[in-house]
Amino acid sequence: MEDQLKIDFEKKLKDFSYSDQEKKFKETNFEEFLKQGFPNRKLENWKFSDLNQIIKNNIGELTFYNDYKKENQIDKIELISELEHNKIIIVDGKIEKIDFKFEDKDKVVVLVEQGEETIKENINSLINLNNAFSNKFCKIIIKKNYSLKKPLVIYHSTNKNTQSKNTNSRIDFKLEENACLRLIDIFKDNSEKNFLNIYYNFELDKSSILKNYKIDKAINNNVKYSYNNVKQEANSISETFILSSGSKFFKNEINCDLLGQHSSAFVNGIFDLDDENHHEIKSNINHLVENTKSYQLVKSVLEKKSKAVYQGKIFVSSEAQKTDGYQLSNAILLSENSEFNAKPELEIYADDVKCSHGSSSGSLDDNSIFYLMSRGLNFKEAKKLLINGFLLDVIEKITDEEIKNLIKNLLGVKE
Amino acid sequence: MLKINNLSAKIDNKSILQDFKLEINPGEVHAIMGPNGSGKSTLSNILSGKKGYDVTGEVLFENNDLFSLETEERAHKGIFLAFQYPLEIPGVNTNVFLKTSLNAIKKARGEKELDAIQFLKLVKEKAKELKFDEEKLGRQLNVGFSGGEKKKNEILQMSILNPKLSILDETDSGLDIDALKTVAEGVNALRKKNNSFLIITHYQRLLEYIKPDFVHVLMNGKIIKSGGPELALELEKKGYENIN
Repeated sequence: MEDQLKIDFEKKLKDFSYSDQEKKFKETNFEEFLKQGFPNRKLENWKFSDLNQIIKNNIGELTFYNDYKKENQIDKIELISELEHNKIIIVDGKIEKIDFKFEDKDKVVVLVEQGEETIKENINSLINLNNAFSNKFCKIIIKKNYSLKKPLVIYHSTNKNTQSKNTNSRIDFKLEENACLRLIDIFKDNSEKNFLNIYYNFELDKSSILKNYKIDKAINNNVKYSYNNVKQEANSISETFILSSGSKFFKNEINCDLLGQHSSAFVNGIFDLDDENHHEIKSNINHLVENTKSYQLVKSVLEKKSKAVYQGKIFVSSEAQKTDGYQLSNAILLSENSEFNAKPELEIYADDVKCSHGSSSGSLDDNSIFYLMSRGLNFKEAKKLLINGFLLDVIEKITDEEIKNLIKNLLGVKE
Repeated sequence: MLKINNLSAKIDNKSILQDFKLEINPGEVHAIMGPNGSGKSTLSNILSGKKGYDVTGEVLFENNDLFSLETEERAHKGIFLAFQYPLEIPGVNTNVFLKTSLNAIKKARGEKELDAIQFLKLVKEKAKELKFDEEKLGRQLNVGFSGGEKKKNEILQMSILNPKLSILDETDSGLDIDALKTVAEGVNALRKKNNSFLIITHYQRLLEYIKPDFVHVLMNGKIIKSGGPELALELEKKGYENIN
């Protein structure tokens, strides 16, 4: 893999005329990735999901170079028709289209290819990989007091012929004071056995609101990793909802730094897994000042040999008095071979806090099934009704009605 | 309508029903009374298709072999069990459940399914008759309902599904006197020449309001005595130990 990496990185550097600073940034990240490689189970964060092994088993040898000069076909990508939206289309890691047609032009600023963030980041080797290979820098700024009229949908797609490739994409967002962004991530996989690595940075200024809905519904054989890095100032709110279902492997990592008082973070998720799919949500909620709040709810429905992992961490620093932190996970295992792993972590250094966690897993309740069947529903209908009921309270946590309905339709949940 | 011949049932090798015999004709109301552990709930569970019992013998419902029918198929044919302990189903809206249930049965019978408007009209009408709080129909099934409301909900389901044979498993337990009367009225409203009832109870109390045609005493998995409504009164006086 090392030789391939070096060849591909050399090609990558030749493609663009980077400034010395940019070049150094890329090189540093590349060296760091070379040193560490893909994360494996020796790392605590990855002990339930050995990415190195997962890539070997599902993809084999990866290549890392993507020709960003090539124009990708985007007119064949099926867009969401149920709701009007702004869009960004990413194909094989390259941003092909940015379209904010519903918004006031001076309220949404898009910075592309105008210098790269060159701050050294030591998050993990996948972020290093991303920084080394991702396309040109892209930053979106939502101006003060502006709420986007329509949601922004980011389509993550792969080309039909792309195979055994690693693609990297990164977008930075800044929500100025009192700004609001609804962001939906949708995956449109046109090819198999690729590793998609997605990295978002969010700066939430005072009283801004970010709602991010990640929808991985379509069945595909790709391996995915997504990292959200959210920095929150006073009174800001971040709401993340993850529907984790269709991919072969998907790990969603959410890092929220609550830096300002009365800021809050909500992370809710559904694992709806079948076959041998293996998905994970890893959260780090860092309560760093007084009076901050976090809430996490994750529910899983696991068929066949599927595996779900939820590692939810709540960190409360010694200054963060009056923290309110909560997390709960429930799983229904529909087969003897399915697996749910929960690792709640509470690391608390303040003494005046309210923090709790809980986790449960079990099978469908036979008595409930019998009750519903005695009313004329067959086993399949009874099971579906119970599972929908089980998942409903996570869906109800979605605060945006339009998007809630979209997700209900995707899951076939009726009211 | 229902013919039970030599029904024996075991659970984990423990015998619960032995050579049980019973015949219910259209329009009849039968009451089965018995002490705790006599096999009353096992009988209702077996008739409605609950798994986990080893059975021998024969049960015919309108000449269909009941044991060859799945739980839901028995419901389609017109068997209804009002549960002793109705289950709470979180996340499932009561109205949605009722409509799904009614339409599943109608579909199986080849009848036209009800649309939302027709259904709401029906459910409102029935809820009113049973003094069932309409607001609860919009809530999650049985979640946060009181014991009495859960039992009323069973009777509401019964009156909407309009079954041929209704089995009431200790529907009276946990009901106050007003709720008991309402439930009894609901049952009596369904008493027609083709609808039959099997009422399982500890006490004679419910039978004051729903007059049975036959009363059977169940002890140790067997019917030890059968008679008319007067048998219930006799039981109330003498207790199960002294009945013969």
